[in-house]
Amino acid sequence: MAKTKGASKKQQNRGIDFKKIKRKIGRKLPPPKNTTNTEIKSKAIVLPEQSVVSEKAGLALSKKGLTLKELLQHTSHHNAKVRKDALMGMKDLFLKHPEEIKLHRYAVIEKLRERISDDDKTVRENLYQLLKSVILPGCKEDNQGPVISLMMAYIFNAMTHLAIDIRLMAFKFFDLAVEYHPPLFFSYAEKILQNYEDILQKNQFYLEDRGKLKNVLAGLVRCLLLLPSSKEVNLLAKNVPEQKILQAFEHDVPTVFAEYSVIIKKLKNLVPVLVNCFQDFLPVIHDSLDAQSFDCMLNILRSLDHAVKFFIHGVQQGHPEPPPVDQSFSSVLLKKLLVVFPLSPMHHLSEKDDDRYVILNIAITEIFMHLSEWICPPAVLFEKFLTFVEYVLVEKSCSNVRSGKAVREKQISTLIPFIPKLVSRVIGNWKNRLLQAFTKTFQDCSPESSVKLACLAAIEEIIISQEDLLCTDVNDLGQFDYKITLVRELPKLLVLLGNRHPSSSKVVLHLLLRLGQRSLLYDDMQGLLKEFYSTDQDKGNICYGPFLRLARDSQELSICCLYYLSQLDSTLLKSIASCCLCQELDPFMLFRIIEVLHSTYKAGHIQISDHINFLITLASRYKVCPENIFPATDRDKKTSNHATFKSLTSVVCSCLSQMGDNSLVFVILEKVILEQISLKPPLDNSCAMLRILIALDSKPTRLSEQSICTLSNVLSAYLIDVAHCVPEYNDESTIHGQTRRYYLLPSFILFDRSYKLLNLVLNVMGSLINGRSSSLLSGDHIRYAKGNSSIINAIVSVLLWMQRDAKVQQILYLYKEEIDHISRSICSLQSSEEINVPIEERHIIST
Amino acid sequence: MEEEIVIASSSIDGGIGCWDLQTGTENLRYKSCASPPHGLTSVGRRFLASSQLQDAKAASGAILYWSWSRPQVEVKCFPEEPIKPLVANSEGTYLVGGGLSGNIYFWEVATGRLLKKWRAHYRAVTCLVFTDDDSLLVSGSEDGSVRVWPLLMIFDDHQMEQASQLYEHSFQEHTLRVTDIVTGYGGGNAIIISASEDRTCKVWSLSKGILLRNIVFPSIIDSITLDPGEHVFYAGGRDGKIHIGALSADSSSIKSHWLHIIGSLSSHSKTVTCLAYSTNGNVLLSGSEDGMIRVWDPKTHNMVRVFRHAKGPVSNIHVLKRPAYLNPRMLSNVQVSSRRHGLSLPPPLSKYINTMDEKVVGAVVNLQATCNNPLDASCTSSQVISSQIKELQQQGSAAAAEMEVEKLKLDSTQAMQMLQRWKKMYDNLHEFCVDELLEGDHVKSAN
Repeated sequence: MAKTKGASKKQQNRGIDFKKIKRKIGRKLPPPKNTTNTEIKSKAIVLPEQSVVSEKAGLALSKKGLTLKELLQHTSHHNAKVRKDALMGMKDLFLKHPEEIKLHRYAVIEKLRERISDDDKTVRENLYQLLKSVILPGCKEDNQGPVISLMMAYIFNAMTHLAIDIRLMAFKFFDLAVEYHPPLFFSYAEKILQNYEDILQKNQFYLEDRGKLKNVLAGLVRCLLLLPSSKEVNLLAKNVPEQKILQAFEHDVPTVFAEYSVIIKKLKNLVPVLVNCFQDFLPVIHDSLDAQSFDCMLNILRSLDHAVKFFIHGVQQGHPEPPPVDQSFSSVLLKKLLVVFPLSPMHHLSEKDDDRYVILNIAITEIFMHLSEWICPPAVLFEKFLTFVEYVLVEKSCSNVRSGKAVREKQISTLIPFIPKLVSRVIGNWKNRLLQAFTKTFQDCSPESSVKLACLAAIEEIIISQEDLLCTDVNDLGQFDYKITLVRELPKLLVLLGNRHPSSSKVVLHLLLRLGQRSLLYDDMQGLLKEFYSTDQDKGNICYGPFLRLARDSQELSICCLYYLSQLDSTLLKSIASCCLCQELDPFMLFRIIEVLHSTYKAGHIQISDHINFLITLASRYKVCPENIFPATDRDKKTSNHATFKSLTSVVCSCLSQMGDNSLVFVILEKVILEQISLKPPLDNSCAMLRILIALDSKPTRLSEQSICTLSNVLSAYLIDVAHCVPEYNDESTIHGQTRRYYLLPSFILFDRSYKLLNLVLNVMGSLINGRSSSLLSGDHIRYAKGNSSIINAIVSVLLWMQRDAKVQQILYLYKEEIDHISRSICSLQSSEEINVPIEERHIIST
Repeated sequence: MEEEIVIASSSIDGGIGCWDLQTGTENLRYKSCASPPHGLTSVGRRFLASSQLQDAKAASGAILYWSWSRPQVEVKCFPEEPIKPLVANSEGTYLVGGGLSGNIYFWEVATGRLLKKWRAHYRAVTCLVFTDDDSLLVSGSEDGSVRVWPLLMIFDDHQMEQASQLYEHSFQEHTLRVTDIVTGYGGGNAIIISASEDRTCKVWSLSKGILLRNIVFPSIIDSITLDPGEHVFYAGGRDGKIHIGALSADSSSIKSHWLHIIGSLSSHSKTVTCLAYSTNGNVLLSGSEDGMIRVWDPKTHNMVRVFRHAKGPVSNIHVLKRPAYLNPRMLSNVQVSSRRHGLSLPPPLSKYINTMDEKVVGAVVNLQATCNNPLDASCTSSQVISSQIKELQQQGSAAAAEMEVEKLKLDSTQAMQMLQRWKKMYDNLHEFCVDELLEGDHVKSAN
């Protein structure tokens, strides 16, 4: 104690640091400085309502009533179950409130990406599902690049994770990312391919988990599919977008091409790995092939195929890099992969398994075909593949009844595109064998199948591309025969396709047009083409072909094909004409047909008589409905095709007047028209005939005496019919007045050109009134006006109209006698019978 | 500004009409010409050449030449097959014709040699046109294809063997006959527009070889021409209207049933068969089936003037700068001079490629001389030059002979003068002698 006292005394002197505190006994100690204040102070808590719900009133909630923020917090919970539940909850929430994704996508992805390398399997699975089904589709419309690239670092991290499961899953995530944002691959190509190479080399897990390997390989196939190949370039060139501005600066194409050299280097390392991987599967092949390993093998083969295609594309494009397909690469493929071809089971298996082998073999064949464009394979191997191709093509046609038909067809259609190149490459007997197999496939496959479409493309290539080299040597006869067979097949196919497969029909028509442009259509195909338009059944029953029901662009294509036939025969024209006369045909198409056929005539592919017949047939047979336009109602006007017929008449007239020397054409025409017009066609058609006649005639008329005689009978009947059908109105400006003028004008022009005709017509009318008409024949011509009184009424109004027309009036003065005769006979009739004759008749007598 | 003239021909024999665009006066009418569409061309403004329509049976075609000064046909050529379109490059050194079989023939004008003939199309060639820098030839055909031929390629035998095809681009999108093609400015980077009987006009890019625009018209378009600013193009239709198609013009504001068609000019009752644009007067010319040529003001869409050409359809119209020969002041001079020199038109075009010629051809010399003389082509082959030299030599000797004659004439006049002098001297002497004698007699008698 004393010691301490002394010490304290000393300390006292030392200064302020050790200040002695004097404490009086009995007093309370002050609380130590480091004590915790345990006092609780509180104010009253006011709870006006239950707040758990109301707080979140404006927010989106999951089923369990959690907000997005809470869910995101839960995703990093240490308990796997809570994480899983949080992911499920987010799925709910986003499904209910899709707009939430758009608002918070960055925040969500930033939080979720940490889960990519989650230890728990179910959490990863759930995350995958969440991304696949909700989040990525949800922000599809926006720019996805940034969203997905946020994830990439984590995916790469997971790809190098120690746990093999996480690694495999990472590839699955990557696959998903590429699916939604393809350019991604190019920005990370080197890293990705390296990762694939690493994982495929570590093959200790193959045999345990093929399902996961399958996923990895599927991702690789998807990536490699993005690599450009020469075929895609062609496709791109074909569909040209409609540009709004013609001469504009173009945006630079994304510089994916710069990456190519890196990709090529990596792929070169990857290919041997893939081949090794494939070889590991070979033992399986020989006993039994389960679905998992089959898928793996198929994916490996597809990846290899894409790689080969990409290399060849690089060579064709002439990239500055050294040729990628060097010896080692091709020899690896040749020695290790292609020698195992064909894969075959050791013992007989079920058909389904058999199909699998065929599919694998076809995949190998594809690789071989692509490779053989670049290197020259040994002849023995080549032979082996040719045999296989032939076998598949021929065998398939016999196996129509088998179960795997659809699958098989799909596989065959991948083989077909190689045929044209093979045909041009192989020598000797193989050419014919291949063509024969190909023709057989083409003939046997069903019209609507994908094989047919592939065949059509191949035909175009076989026939056209080879001809395209303008200086080709003469093909041998055997090949020529096959070509004829193939081309003949096309019109039949067209009829078979009918109108059920418009896109296929369009392809066929396009092919026909291409062939036509190169003068490869044969004239005897016309018989087959006829069926496409219409065929004449017995007794005037017309059976319309698929033409009428196709879309307009296909119709136009088929019409254009006609232009290229070297000589259109009359039977085909007849069947086209009956299509034209069909009411279902769009008027636009009708005029287009006439236009194209007229061009064809000008090019000398239709004989003049055939063409004239065609045009006259249209004018004389076109059915105007309703036949009698009066009394016209509004409803009639809508359905009526009078306007179409009027323009048809003028089109036909202009076509005929462009045919050459009018006087010569007129000589041919005169007979045909008189023949047609004496057949008593409906009023409109007669009018069209007369109009055609005057379009080609001149003043004075070139009509022969005999035809003037015939015409006078026809014309008088025609005029009476017009007068009967078009009622009399004084107002010229009404629609009736215009219609009457339309009908009367051609006959008035004829009168002006030949006075004699007017004279004869007046005579015929006179004798008609008298009833003792010597030419009873002319009475037959009258179609509508029946009965004496209506005829007489009609004659009177015709005469009145004539008199109103200034030109005809002049001529009428010359034939006063005839008119007097008519009026006198009317008068006498009036006295004998009770016939109501209008008073206007007096006018005529007075003139 | 130089005056411009309009030349026009018809598919029915009506000669080649020639009018002054400003004044409207008609110049000479060149006789007997029935040319197909695109069959009339002026060869470097030196003379006119036109292919002729023939019977279908005719084995060989016909190409006729007219010099500006005379209405009669001066030179007749008979190529291997009927030629439809005919075009000369802007300098007039080469003449290119498209045959019925789809072949294209390439002649050198100065010698008439057939330099090249190649199979260009599957069917008859319907129109041919050079780009404005003469480097590319664009051809359209009945088979609906439009092909672009670089002349460089065509005359490079080595490349020709290597390449699988001669053409640079082959545009196949038309389904029917191509009726007309025009090229824009900019040589190999230009746009071209093709019209076809499938009722469409298509705009192509020459540099990229792609289709830029497809315009569907309400009728078949037979002829097209470009506005000088490439703002719009005019398309003459079979419906008698001249449609205005938009190129760089904005067509979105115009409410039209037809996409990219801005408007139309119409008064033609019949088909518009050909069009031309005069940049000088800024007018549009259109030829019609009824034989009239109408001149339009493209701004107001009004008709300015009408030329009456023939009864048949007008098949070609060209607007040219007035060639020197047509100048009325010079006309008489030229006629005299041409008659004196016997110099007129180049020899007829040959029918076949002469393989002998091929070997002789040496270096090609570029003659820069005498630009003021439009009769001289600036590009000629060595053959032409050698023949010209020969001609010059011959002309030289003729001049020498002339000088000789002159000299002789001078000699003769000198001799005549000498003779006169001698005569005078003799007369004087004679007189003197007589005087002397008479005087002597007088003296004698006086004595």
